Amino acid sequence: MQTEERYDDLTALFEAQDEALQNEVFVEQVMKPIRRRSRWRAPLLFGAGGIGLGAALSQIGGVWDALKAQAPSSIEADLSISLDAIPSAQLAIDAQSVWVIAAVLMVASCAVLVMTERA
Amino acid sequence: MGQAVISDFDLARDAASGKEAAFETLVRRYQGAVRGVCRRLTSHAAEADDVAQATFLMAWRKIGAYRGGSFKSWICTIAYREFLQARRRKKIEVEFDENTHILAFDSSAARLPEQLDLDRALKTLPENQRICVVLCVATGMSHSEASAATGFPLGTVKSHVNRGVAALRKQLATESVA
Repeated sequence: MQTEERYDDLTALFEAQDEALQNEVFVEQVMKPIRRRSRWRAPLLFGAGGIGLGAALSQIGGVWDALKAQAPSSIEADLSISLDAIPSAQLAIDAQSVWVIAAVLMVASCAVLVMTERA
Repeated sequence: MGQAVISDFDLARDAASGKEAAFETLVRRYQGAVRGVCRRLTSHAAEADDVAQATFLMAWRKIGAYRGGSFKSWICTIAYREFLQARRRKKIEVEFDENTHILAFDSSAARLPEQLDLDRALKTLPENQRICVVLCVATGMSHSEASAATGFPLGTVKSHVNRGVAALRKQLATESVA
């Protein structure tokens, strides 16, 4: 088997140059944008996913009533809102458009994933 | 008891799962090699560090594609591609120029005379020869890896490396005698 020629003398010189280049400032420069990108990626993905999930759940009959039954009555009083008002507002939105919004959110989430995730 | 050194493969796997600290260790481990390659290819310190930074950012995005083997070769291949892209974008002048300022690798570090000679000698090589010497001799890539990275035929890589190394040795010997 043919082996490649060794260049240890030159390689040692190159490695000595590389050693002299060790610099913590450069490491920080590289890591800064990576940390920044990671910081917003998770909240964005989970936020978009959560909204999509919420929109989907709201379409399932009985979920809203179950949530309403679980909520303490004091919340309604404290916030001066009526939970009964929300389903009526919800009905105003066309069911189809909710699914469109959910689909758009899912696509947006996937796009963000593709842009930010590693291959 | 000494702390075990985590392998590049394990660090890369952790980095692929989103652990920034693992990637930071890889950056720390290979910054010298990557910055060195970039400086030898571009001959401009500021441009070289931009290319080196772009290399690590690309490596972070593509770390899931690393399948083992020499991490140094893998990341230096990315560095070479980033260099080509940067050159296309900014039209970096890479041809040897007699008047080009000889790049000081680190002005704060004590520089051995033979290292300065090496920089000077490297700059006299034709571009393709220099690229092959940098990839094979400075980063330790095999001829096949360099061929895959550059797209040059294997025989061409071997020829460039052999001629480049011979030219470097000749120049270093001449300068040490002078």
